[in-house]
Amino acid sequence: MRETETMSSDDASEYVVRFSFWSRFQHASVILLFGLLLVTGMPQKWPYAETSGWVVDHLGGIFAARWIHRAAGVAFTALVVAHLTVAIGGVLTRRMKASMLLDKKDFTDAIDNLRYYAGYAETAPKFGRYDYRQKFEYWGLIFGSLIMIGTGFILYFPIVISRILPTELIPAAKVMHSYEALFAFLIVLIWHMAGAHLSPESFPIDTSIFTGKVRKEKLRHEHALEYEDLFGKP
Amino acid sequence: MTRRQGTKASGSTWAAVLFVTLFAGTASGQPAARPAPVPEAVTYCLGCHDDKALSLTLKDGSSMSLFVDPKDLGSSVHASQLICTDCHAKYEQDHPTDATFPSRRAYAVSSYELCKKCHFDTYTRTLESVHYDLLKAGVDTAPICTDCHGAHNIPNPHAKRAMMSRSCAACHTDVYKTYAGSVHGRVLVEDDNQDVPACADCHTHHQVQQPGTTKFRLNSPDICIRCHGDKGLMSKYGISTTVAQTYLADFHGVTASLSRNLPAAQQQVVVTCVECHGAHNIASPKLKGPEAMKATVATACGKCHQNTAPTFPAAWLSHYPPSPRHAPLVWAVELFYKIFIPFAVVGLVLHLLLHVYRMSAGR
Repeated sequence: MRETETMSSDDASEYVVRFSFWSRFQHASVILLFGLLLVTGMPQKWPYAETSGWVVDHLGGIFAARWIHRAAGVAFTALVVAHLTVAIGGVLTRRMKASMLLDKKDFTDAIDNLRYYAGYAETAPKFGRYDYRQKFEYWGLIFGSLIMIGTGFILYFPIVISRILPTELIPAAKVMHSYEALFAFLIVLIWHMAGAHLSPESFPIDTSIFTGKVRKEKLRHEHALEYEDLFGKP
Repeated sequence: MTRRQGTKASGSTWAAVLFVTLFAGTASGQPAARPAPVPEAVTYCLGCHDDKALSLTLKDGSSMSLFVDPKDLGSSVHASQLICTDCHAKYEQDHPTDATFPSRRAYAVSSYELCKKCHFDTYTRTLESVHYDLLKAGVDTAPICTDCHGAHNIPNPHAKRAMMSRSCAACHTDVYKTYAGSVHGRVLVEDDNQDVPACADCHTHHQVQQPGTTKFRLNSPDICIRCHGDKGLMSKYGISTTVAQTYLADFHGVTASLSRNLPAAQQQVVVTCVECHGAHNIASPKLKGPEAMKATVATACGKCHQNTAPTFPAAWLSHYPPSPRHAPLVWAVELFYKIFIPFAVVGLVLHLLLHVYRMSAGR
């Protein structure tokens, strides 16, 4: 923390732009849509909890809640398609770096970081633009979204599905949609909230995904390799 | 329907109604088996009324017997508790000798409220029933206490459930016939089975509601589950209680329970037990056979889901919980998540705790 103080005298270089408008827009959209999907979906997963009845009644009844859920699901699908199009297109045209792709270093980083946490190493490994925890969450979100979208559309159009595919897919999709949603909720609750709010480095909130900016010192501490890429080795 | 009962009731029953109208507060405790000795005050009345020839011409010109059979009084739950004037209070002072009522039914309807002197709670419940609504609307054949319970010869209503259902049959003849042929009704009528639902178990005794309404239909799973969710009771008949759980957990069960507060127009689309199984005509799905049951389910699905493929009803797992034999894919997905989620969550929490540990103590 001492270093931060010395940095703060150099106002011009205090912040680095870390997230584009598109990234921030996507994050805000996910908050809104994931929130809507949770509020309208959880009462259907636990319909016999007292709160569920209250929530559903305030949304205008179960049929209204289901329409909100479907609309939010369709919007979320559009967002995922847009995200993948931009990401794959950007990487293919070399306008973006494939900084989210997993590589061998992520696995060695995970082991080294746990060794550091447990006290077997003096320092934590240096991370690039995204550390292994963030990549884990990103790929969890991508694959989780694909599962939710696939099963969601099976449940949206069960009659069409029953004409072209085995009908057992419909109850299987229902179970999968429900458990995958629970898993996503737990990941966000435990992993994302802890990382972005409760972790000692970020408490009470890491605002960079909302403002797009990150303090240079924080970047150097948490994403040393990216910092070195930008500013050279200290 | 009530008209028919009126005609029937104008036989011997209403003669009895004229004299004693009902009930003491402690009726339930008294076994009706041994005829109790008749109190002295009753013997006094029987001095005249134990006469089969005693009768009266009413204002409508009909003749009514005033005979009271001492055997009826002795077998009634009230036998040792009430004397004639407890119910026929006005005859204690001033015993009229000519007709004061236009008809037997008019007398019965005007005097049945005597029951509330002791049975006030039960009487109050009848005020909320569809039967009382009819009576209030001027349909004097709508059932009153004495139509189901009798008057001088009131049996213990808890002893013989089949009997109470037969009293419903007096008006609801067709429904009763259907019920008597159902999986429930047959064993009640033929074997006096005490486990199966009789009319009042679903419709209630005194607070009978209009059954055709959406509200009643939406609450019907609760009625079925009262027995079909009872493991001890169902094991006697080899019926699985998963029928209740699988319905409640499935799409339609969730819809039914979450749409209770909606306007009735929106509740129409909700599917309950009766859509596939019927109500008064419930047959055993085992005896019906899987093919016939599948056809019934397909018809029920088709009511709302138009243009479905013939395979569509198989998307419903027929009350079977997923297992390697029934719905292996559903079973496997469920098993995967039941192992994967706790494993992943514990791992992530450990990772976070280690982080905090290193940042605080382990620096």
